[in-house]
Amino acid sequence: MTTIQEPSRGRQWGSADEFQAFIDDEGVVERDDAMPDAYRNEVFRFIELHANSELMGGLTERDWIPRAPGLRRKIAVLAKTQDEIGHAHLLYMVAADMGVKARTEMIDDLFAGRSRFHNVFHYPAVTWADQVAIAYLVDAAALISQQAVFKQCSYGPYKRILRRIIAEEGFHMRHGEEMLMTFAEGTPIQHAMFQEALDRWWLPALQLFGPDSTPDDELIRWRIKSEPNEVLRDRWVQKYAPLLVGYGFTIPDPDLHVDPVTHRWVIGPIDWSHLRAALANRGPDSARRIGDAARHWADTAWVRDALDLVDEPAA
Amino acid sequence: MISTTQLSDAIRAALSTVDDPEMPGVSIIELGLLESLEVGLDGKVRIGLIPTFSGCPALTAIANDVRMVVERIEAVSTVEVVFLTAPAWSVDRVTGAAEAQLRNGLGIAVERTGRATCPRCGTVTSEQSMFGPTRCRAVHRCQGCGEVVEVMR
Repeated sequence: MTTIQEPSRGRQWGSADEFQAFIDDEGVVERDDAMPDAYRNEVFRFIELHANSELMGGLTERDWIPRAPGLRRKIAVLAKTQDEIGHAHLLYMVAADMGVKARTEMIDDLFAGRSRFHNVFHYPAVTWADQVAIAYLVDAAALISQQAVFKQCSYGPYKRILRRIIAEEGFHMRHGEEMLMTFAEGTPIQHAMFQEALDRWWLPALQLFGPDSTPDDELIRWRIKSEPNEVLRDRWVQKYAPLLVGYGFTIPDPDLHVDPVTHRWVIGPIDWSHLRAALANRGPDSARRIGDAARHWADTAWVRDALDLVDEPAA
Repeated sequence: MISTTQLSDAIRAALSTVDDPEMPGVSIIELGLLESLEVGLDGKVRIGLIPTFSGCPALTAIANDVRMVVERIEAVSTVEVVFLTAPAWSVDRVTGAAEAQLRNGLGIAVERTGRATCPRCGTVTSEQSMFGPTRCRAVHRCQGCGEVVEVMR
């Protein structure tokens, strides 16, 4: 009698060094591969953070559907909400496939405050101008980060989703730029309104990139991130500082200046305590946002139940 | 002076350079958005487009992009872009070239006769959610390799 050996569907590596060599050689890891646990856990955490952030970002956007000025803006906000929630959906599927946590566990952890989402969704968006600042500055920061991950991402399923997310975020940028122009070229009241929003959002957007990367950053070694945080942050500063100054806005950083030799924009020291508090779910708006998200989730349980019934009709 | 036929051809060529704002590399012509093109002897142009889904948020951006490229053509005096409510768009209007670009460039499958296949391995997919990141796309899972697939429907 012969026993039928279930063939392993994925690839295996003999040691951590072999796996690292595969990664260094621009190898792409797939879902069914026997990847080292450290890689699996770290990449999972990264994708979970991204998924959580898309979901929390989508819900933030959603708050503004009824309050967006005019039908065109409402359609744009509605569509962005669908984009973000759709991205979260795709990312949760890819994350769950890694076998670290089930999708329901990720959702439970998020609403119980046990997991993380990006710092920018821990602050209140006070006026419509805040939403514009988020669309213009935060979405740009997110796009720069995502482009850097996409460039050489070693985890195939994530890279293939990122390709489409980036295409859509590019379209969001167009909206953000158009909305910013409305404020920049608008009345003095509009100009002042955006300035106040900028005062609130400059630092959180800047901190989205995180503190300077350490030389032993595993995510860089595993080719998830392609560039250190400080390089990405600087890329964003070099693009947006001159644009905002050009539109007549004041950037809330007294030390901000242009280096006379390199002609590059130089920012002042950053107080990272805000980032640490936000990522520990202790930001100024963390409790309200997590509470709201959990309540929305509970309120829409009937929709999920109804859709399950469609999938599995009663006999 | 160029004929209206030549001008129509020039306009079509210009329109084929306008990509869907959320799907780089896929032109609005290949997606089947162009329904009518009227060119007057005085260079007045009226372009009738049909949206993939009504309420599509990209319509303003598409109309702006269309006006920009068509206005550049010398013989054109005015450009009017209108979104038609009929006929309704369907994936049958998507050309083979666009389908290939969506599959290979972006990893998006196009639903044909009620089914879609995985851009990675070619196996049939099954729907996970009718709601994807955009109105024109659903979320499927490949029954072969397990890939998460977006399907244009």
